[in-house]
Parts: sequence; structure tokens; C-alpha cells
Amino acid sequence: MKIKNLLTEQLISVDLQGSSKEEIIGEMLNILLKAGKVADRDLAYADLLSREKKMSTGMQYGVAIPHAKTLAVAELTACIGIHRKGIDFDSLDGQPANIFIMTLSPVDRTGPHVQFLAEISMVLKSRAARLKVLESVSAAEVLAVFGI
Amino acid sequence: MAHEMMVLVLQLGIIVLFSRFFGWFFANVLKQSQVLGELISGMVIGPYLLGGIHLSVIHGPLFPLTGGTIPISPELYGFAVLGSIVLLFVSGLETDLPTFIKFSGKGTIVGLGGIVITFLLGNGIAVLLNPGIPNMLHPSALFLGTLSTATSVGITARILSDKRKLSSPEGVTILAAAVIDDVLSIVLLSIVIGMSAAASGGVGIVWGKIGIVALKAIGFWLICTIVGIILAPVFTRKMKVFESIDMIAGVSLGIALILAGVSEMFELAMIIGAYIAGLSFSRTDVAHEIHERTQGLYNFLVPIFFSAMGMMVNFGAIKEVFWFGLAFTLLGILGKIFGCGLPALFAGFNLRGAYRIGVGMMPRGEVTLIVAGIGLSSGAIGQDMFGVAIMTMLVASIAAPPLIIKSFEGGSGYRSKALDTGDARSHAIELQFPNFRAAEFMRRSLADGFREEGFFVHRLDHDRLVYQVRQNMIVFTLLQEQDKLILNTPPEHESFVRLMMMEKLLELKDFLSGLESMKSPDMMGAELMKGMFSLDAD
Repeated sequence: MKIKNLLTEQLISVDLQGSSKEEIIGEMLNILLKAGKVADRDLAYADLLSREKKMSTGMQYGVAIPHAKTLAVAELTACIGIHRKGIDFDSLDGQPANIFIMTLSPVDRTGPHVQFLAEISMVLKSRAARLKVLESVSAAEVLAVFGI
Repeated sequence: MAHEMMVLVLQLGIIVLFSRFFGWFFANVLKQSQVLGELISGMVIGPYLLGGIHLSVIHGPLFPLTGGTIPISPELYGFAVLGSIVLLFVSGLETDLPTFIKFSGKGTIVGLGGIVITFLLGNGIAVLLNPGIPNMLHPSALFLGTLSTATSVGITARILSDKRKLSSPEGVTILAAAVIDDVLSIVLLSIVIGMSAAASGGVGIVWGKIGIVALKAIGFWLICTIVGIILAPVFTRKMKVFESIDMIAGVSLGIALILAGVSEMFELAMIIGAYIAGLSFSRTDVAHEIHERTQGLYNFLVPIFFSAMGMMVNFGAIKEVFWFGLAFTLLGILGKIFGCGLPALFAGFNLRGAYRIGVGMMPRGEVTLIVAGIGLSSGAIGQDMFGVAIMTMLVASIAAPPLIIKSFEGGSGYRSKALDTGDARSHAIELQFPNFRAAEFMRRSLADGFREEGFFVHRLDHDRLVYQVRQNMIVFTLLQEQDKLILNTPPEHESFVRLMMMEKLLELKDFLSGLESMKSPDMMGAELMKGMFSLDAD
């Protein structure tokens, strides 16, 4: 699955406003809803929070990857958000998260869903790439970091 | 037509029954190769023994002798040919391509050594023991030399596959050498035909024409192998739009048949085209799935092929030239053991490995028959020498299986300890579980997860819980050692593997909390047992 096939400027927010994990997830879901990618917002929200309850998707160095399998989507969908100050996301390193990559994949559909999540996370492996994302002021600049 | 079809169906039924029972008896009771049982079943029920007996219900023998060089009906022979194509296609699929490429150089040295020595020995003894053959350039001497060169890759491939040694250094060297042998034997045959025609016609040998035939054969082999290896992964990737592995398996078998036919058009044996097709698909991620779906066809057709080979044995023709045949056969066998074994010693193998390769190259088969048949039809050899060819095929094919099986006992036959076909860069990620069951749950769960991502998962070893997880060129290995899981991954895919493992660990957590909320297992067990016995008399 190529990142460029899934991400467009419409699916990027460079200025998330939420101040809690729930608010950030809700805000990012609205991006997907607005793009017509999610059929049932409430169901997707519940599935994402249920996944967070099992184990937080807050990783290290400010990156979080909220994701879930849900009946609310028909195909793999993704969006990216940046929070300027960073918020507590129960991350592995205890640091606030400021780069969020959300993916929703359909239930019972074969496809490279985890591979996509890994592929997009790999881009942010280097400190330089993360800094570039955080310095971006437009969706186009964020996409450029991902080679789009 | 209806009568012929009725006879054909009866013939097939009898062959399937006898080859199965003989194969089983040889493998399980006599502890010999199944192939040997199948070959002998053909001799017993074939036209020269029981099959030749007149049966009043069908107004003739069940396996009547036909006039041509092949003593069975063309329809039945067609099934045998199909069996040889499926056999070589599956052998190609089972070949580990990187190891095959790595050993193709050694295979060429071994194959060439065997060809040169056996040709010279076969040709020489023909001149020495037959007053009718004046010199080594006589057509009969040339044909006898040629027919002792070709190795039957089929018999060896089947035994090595049964013993799971097909991808060992000796296994791939034998396969590479046998395929090269077959290609070179056919090239040699074209040269010999050209020389015989020139000798009988009283004109000079047209080396230019012979050279073109030789180039065509070698060119076809090289081009098809290279193109096949490049195109097969692209082809299977495109075929996945049909979302049906059965479809991919069916189409790849169709391609094997077409390539076998085209191979014959280029004056090479059909089995070469089938082997190239199998070899090409062996490096795709669906190789195991194609193999699995071809297995039923293989189990049905391959015994028919070996049984039909046994049917070719004319005991009467062998009797007349028995002593010459015996000497010719023994030299043919020794020629292969030394001709292939000695070069193997210089190609990195120890004595044990060289011996394995020598005996692995011993069996003769379909190409020997093809060469003998062409020699017979062109008049270069008579019925007696055709009998010698069959005797060589028979003795070599009967002697080889037990020798091959025995030779593969013991340690490695390859000198270099550094042989490693795996990815040296791969990272191992280990997870330790409290017990075997928990590790097993996680292993199954991971395998399902990879399948959901579009990967193919198959077990590599029947004795150990080791699996290959593959999608196109991405390959991981998943290994369970008691309560430990080890996943080997190339570094560029490590994030994916870690994420997948994390997701599956969460599923395990879910599963465990589900178990905790379950009704007490003791109470469930008690409820299950209630009502098993009653107070009533009946």
C-alpha cells in the first residue's frame, strides 16, 4: 500500500486543538468524516478508544499512532494531525505527543493494514523527519516529508 | 473409438491400482524407493508379461504391443508424458532457486564430467565388443555413446523430494547437473543425428547446421530460464486480482504444459520446459500454494509415468544382448559415479558428497528412451541395441534408488561450513511465554494476522515448528521453540513485524480476560459429565 494513495491535503491538520487523548481522537475522526471516509463516527470513536484502553498507542519522541479495526470504514483510511504544544497521550516514554497518525481498517478484509501503519511510522523514525513535520505550517509541507 | 477408450480406462485403472500397491509394498515393507515399486509394477502388468495375455472379455490383451518403438498405446503414453511433465514441474517448484543458482556452476562441471566420461566409455565399449562397429565415429557407436549420457532427473528428484533433500547442496547440484545433462544430451543427439545422416548419405558432415541446432537448444534453455525467473513473480502478482489461488495454480500448470510443448518444438525434451516453468514459479510467494494444489494431480499421474516406463522393458530383446548389455550398463553406471563424482570433489564437496552426486546421477530414463527411439527409427541402431538401452535404463534405475537413499544417510557432503542461503542481515525478535500452549496461541494468531495482511504462511519443516511468511519478495521466518517464539525479519520490515506482534499480544490479552470471565471450568466439566450414567437398568 503506497502512502501517497491514501493521504491527501484534506486529510492533514497542522493545528489540532484538543487537550486530551479523547479530544484529539474525536478531532481527527472529524477530519476523516469530513472527507467522507467514515460511515459511522460514533462506532469508529468507540473502537479507537477501546483499542487505546487495551494499550496506549502513544509511542516515543512525540509520535502517536491511534488505530483500530472497525465496521465504520469500508477501506483502509488514514489522516495526520499536528498539535503544536503536545498533549499527554500515555506514551511509552512519558513525553507529550505532538504528531498523530490515525489509521482505521475494515474488519475481515485482507490487506496491508498493519504494513501501512509500519510504513508511515518508518518515515518518522528519524529525528530530522519529525522536526520537519513539526515545522510544517501547511498540509503540503507535511505531505512532502512523506514524499508526496 | 468406444472400444479404445474402454481399454484405455481399464488400463489406467489397472496401472493406478498396481502402481499404488507395488509402490506401497516397496516403500513400507521392503523399505525401498516407491519409484522402484512403480517401475516394477509396469514390468509385471506391461505388454511383455501379464499385460500381453489374451483376455476374451476385451477380445485381446489388456496392454497389446503396438508396432512403433514405444510398446504401449499413444493414448496411454500421453498420460505418461503428462505425468513426466507434472513431475518435473513440481520438482522445479520444490527447487530452492537461490541455492540452484549458487550451484549451477558446480552442476555444469558435474554434468559435463558425467557426459564426457559416459559418452567415451559407452562409445568405446560398443566398438570394442561389437565386430560390426568398426570405429568410434560409426553411427551405432555414436548413438550408444549418446544414450548412456542422459540422467533421469525424474527418479532422483522424486527420491530427494521424498527424503526432503531436494534443496541440499548435493540435491541442487544433482538437479542442476541432470537438467544440464538432458539439455546437452539432446544437443549431442542433434550432432549425432547430423553425423549419422552424413555417414549414411556418403556426404561430409555439415557442422554449420549441427551448430545451429545446438545453439537453438542451449539458447532456448537459457532464455526461457532467465525470462521465466524474471516474469513469474510479476505474473503471479497480477494474477492476484482474481483472488483465487486455484486460478493461479491452474494457470501456472497450463503455462508449464505450453512451455513443455514449446520446448519440444525447439527439439528439447518436454520435461525441460516443465522444469523451467516450475523453477520460475518457485521464487514466487504462491509457490507453496501451487505445489499444494498440484499434489493431487501429481499423486495420480506420476505413478502412471513410472509404471509406463516399466512397461517399456522387453525381456526378450535383453536376452539376446545380455552380456554386452551388462558390460555397457556397468560402464554407464561407473561412468556417472566417477564422471560426476570426481568433478564434484573439485567443486567443494567431500567424498561423501561426491559419492551422493555420483549415484544421484546414475538413473536413466525418458531421455535415454527418446535417444534410443530416434536411433531405432533412423536405423542407426537395431532392436538388439534398443534392448541394451532399455537394460541400461532398467538396471541403473533399479540400482540407483536404494543407493541414493543409503548415500544420503550421515552428515553433510559439502566441505564449506559457511553455506547459508538465509539473509545474513536478518534480525531476530524473541518473545518468551509461560508455557507451550500460550506460545502456540500466539504463533497461530500471528500466522492469521500475516495472512490477513496478504502474506502466505507455510510450514518449512515437518519436524520443527518453523514457518515461512512470505509476500512477494518480503520473507520472514517464524519459529516456535517450546515456549519461545522467534521471528526473523529483514531490518527494513522490523517495524511492521513489531507492530503485528504487539497487536496479536493485545488479542492474547483479550483472550485471557475472556477466559477469566468464563464460568468455572470445573463446573462446566461437571455439567458435561452429568447424565452419562443413569440409575435405570437400561
